[in-house]
Amino acid sequence: MRYLALSLMMVMMLPSFAAAGYQEDFAREFLSKTWAGERIEENACIDCHSSDQMKPAFREITDEWKKSWHAKNNVFCQDCHGGDPKDPSLSMTHQRGFLGAPDARQVPEFCGKCHIGILKNYLESGHGKALRSTGKGPNCVVCHGSHNVQPANIEIINEQRCSKCHSYERAKVMKQALFLVEKKAGEITDGIKALRRAGIYTAEQERALFNTQAEFRTLFHTVDVSLVNERTDEFTRKLGAIERDIRGTFIELRSRKNFSAFLMALFSGMGVVIFLLSRPPNK
Amino acid sequence: MKRRSFLKGLLAFLGTTTLVSFVYPIFRYLAPPAGTETSKTVVIAKRDIPLGDAREIVFNNVPAIVLNRPGKGLIAVSRVCTHLGCLVQYDAANMRLVCPCHAGIYDLEGNIVSGPPPKPLPKLPLRVEGETIVIG
Amino acid sequence: MWERIKNWLEVRIGLDDLVRSQVTDYRVPKNINIFYTLGFVAAIGYLIQVLSGIMLLIHYVPHPDHAFKSVQDIMLKVPFGWLFRQMHVVGSNLMIAAIGLHMLTVFLMGNYKRPRELTWVGGALLLLVTIAFGFSGYLLPWTQLSYWATTVVTSIPTAVPVVGDVVARVLRGGDQVTGTTLSRFFAFHVSVLPPLFLILAGMHVFLIKRIGISATPFGLPAEEKRPWTEYHKKSHADGYPYYPRFFQMDMLMVMVYLALMFFLITVAPNLFFPEEATVPADPFRTPPHVHPEWYLLAPYQMLRIIPNKFLGIIIQLALFLLFLLWPFFDTEKEKNIMKRPMLRVLFLFAFVLWVILMFWGGY
Repeated sequence: MRYLALSLMMVMMLPSFAAAGYQEDFAREFLSKTWAGERIEENACIDCHSSDQMKPAFREITDEWKKSWHAKNNVFCQDCHGGDPKDPSLSMTHQRGFLGAPDARQVPEFCGKCHIGILKNYLESGHGKALRSTGKGPNCVVCHGSHNVQPANIEIINEQRCSKCHSYERAKVMKQALFLVEKKAGEITDGIKALRRAGIYTAEQERALFNTQAEFRTLFHTVDVSLVNERTDEFTRKLGAIERDIRGTFIELRSRKNFSAFLMALFSGMGVVIFLLSRPPNK
Repeated sequence: MKRRSFLKGLLAFLGTTTLVSFVYPIFRYLAPPAGTETSKTVVIAKRDIPLGDAREIVFNNVPAIVLNRPGKGLIAVSRVCTHLGCLVQYDAANMRLVCPCHAGIYDLEGNIVSGPPPKPLPKLPLRVEGETIVIG
Repeated sequence: MWERIKNWLEVRIGLDDLVRSQVTDYRVPKNINIFYTLGFVAAIGYLIQVLSGIMLLIHYVPHPDHAFKSVQDIMLKVPFGWLFRQMHVVGSNLMIAAIGLHMLTVFLMGNYKRPRELTWVGGALLLLVTIAFGFSGYLLPWTQLSYWATTVVTSIPTAVPVVGDVVARVLRGGDQVTGTTLSRFFAFHVSVLPPLFLILAGMHVFLIKRIGISATPFGLPAEEKRPWTEYHKKSHADGYPYYPRFFQMDMLMVMVYLALMFFLITVAPNLFFPEEATVPADPFRTPPHVHPEWYLLAPYQMLRIIPNKFLGIIIQLALFLLFLLWPFFDTEKEKNIMKRPMLRVLFLFAFVLWVILMFWGGY
């Protein structure tokens, strides 16, 4: 009787394993319920602009945006352009605050809706004043792009970009002024990555780094080299504090390894002694 | 028998060392932290902050701001934006605190009005003693 | 001084007789092997979990807003907090491995047969309680891994029709994993499961003492007569005294267990902490690879590949019942597995299948 039950069970199991389509089924049944799994936001802007009906030039926009730092941080179309992302018929209406694409002169205020510290510095700078008075000059998009915006880095300042209106010399001087702080920030970023790999939760250090770096980079937008040089020390000091904190954590991790290795040695030692004691005494 | 007594002695030694190696961490773990950073209080004279104005201070290494709000009195909040840590600035014209990094906006209670911050600004303990304001 | 204390106890509890019957005259079979120590090792593993757990309990806060931070504080701010947390995490995995090994060796030596069926049943229930410990404890740090692995596993009962959804909602305390889930998992982990484990373990040990240690079928000239129709305590008159011979073996294996624990803490402190275990839970972002801990991977994978959910759950239940009541299925008198080719094949098949499913479930 029990052998019958056993063999029936085994026979039942085998064909079930052979069946296909398991992963989709599981995803559909377990992970797609409203209470399990993330909610995927529907966005009318993306739906239309990425469809086949849209002209290629506009279709590229959504692809570009998807690669951007904005996309990774949940900044969507409507956050800059206005409009209603939930209702396709109202998505580009005036009532829902749709702004369309800004022209070159309107770009600084467009991005400055959120990046207000940078806007303030920019408007006071040579670049901002040039754009205001002549309508020509580097606005945000010239250096940072429009839809595929990536985190800023020092290589945005290069010969090709910065010699369009004046000699590269000026830009080079600024790049040199920024260099030290940016390099240190890069080292700290690597240090944080190494800490994360070691399992440490680094939110505090990441915020401190972001805070300091953001303030420094906002300062750049004044394109005032003397100001940057003046305040480099202050920023270097702030970054130094973060660096010391990170180094301290590494030292702490090493001492932990040593302590647990010591405990391991103690237990292994006791094991060996017990084993030796258990052998019959040779008399 | 000398070998056996040596081994037994060694075991006793190792065992005691192991015990101590655990007792010490247990003791350190349970012992109350050595004097919670005795928060140095920050003291400002009341007349240093006229109505509608504010004063930036540092309290326990945290940049903070003391506001003299018309109709609502004095309040001290941390200036560290709860989004990514930038320092908020006092916008007297619009009676609010604004973060220059991503336009996080707080009211003069520290509550979020708009923008990316996830939590309100933490308030600091403040009391008025006669003509002075004491934070902490 | 020592003599006076012993004498005081002797007058009250008969210390001499106690020590003699439990320790020095308590005999273990001559052909006892090292695998017999695994039960004791598992019990020590449990003790380590309790002690390290109590240390963690002092600083942990079981509320979703504070759970993650309290664990981080234990790891980074409290002196030696990292030590107790690592011991608890590594210990939980090692204990389950020890129990698994104990189970395997008892099975292979046939020590579950009459009259020891109840001991096996108690052991299977102990395994269930231990896995419940692991599963409830997993949620407590409130990381991405905790949150989503718990979401997946608490969804499994929904496959059962009619009662499935209710069971899932009771487990979770709602439709989603929330602070309510955390509270009840914490309560279970800390106040319900420990006494349950102790009761079952107490029963298990009582049965072993009462029935007597079973001799392995290997290396013995004569096979004990089976089946029995009346109570007969098994004693080993020509066996070794528990102390010092077998006690030394017990202690040796405990040292091996602890050395292994600290070896893992030293060279692989992040073995049980993948990326998702280091970030706080985010109900709005599912990490790409969510799966339960290694000891639940085989059942998890089995569920994934069986297309009919209901059938999947039923098969799991059937297999568990088979495991729980195995001594009642296998009443063959022969204890020596080398003389039972069919059982060997069946065992090998089940074991290999389990291993394959475990690795498959990891993808």
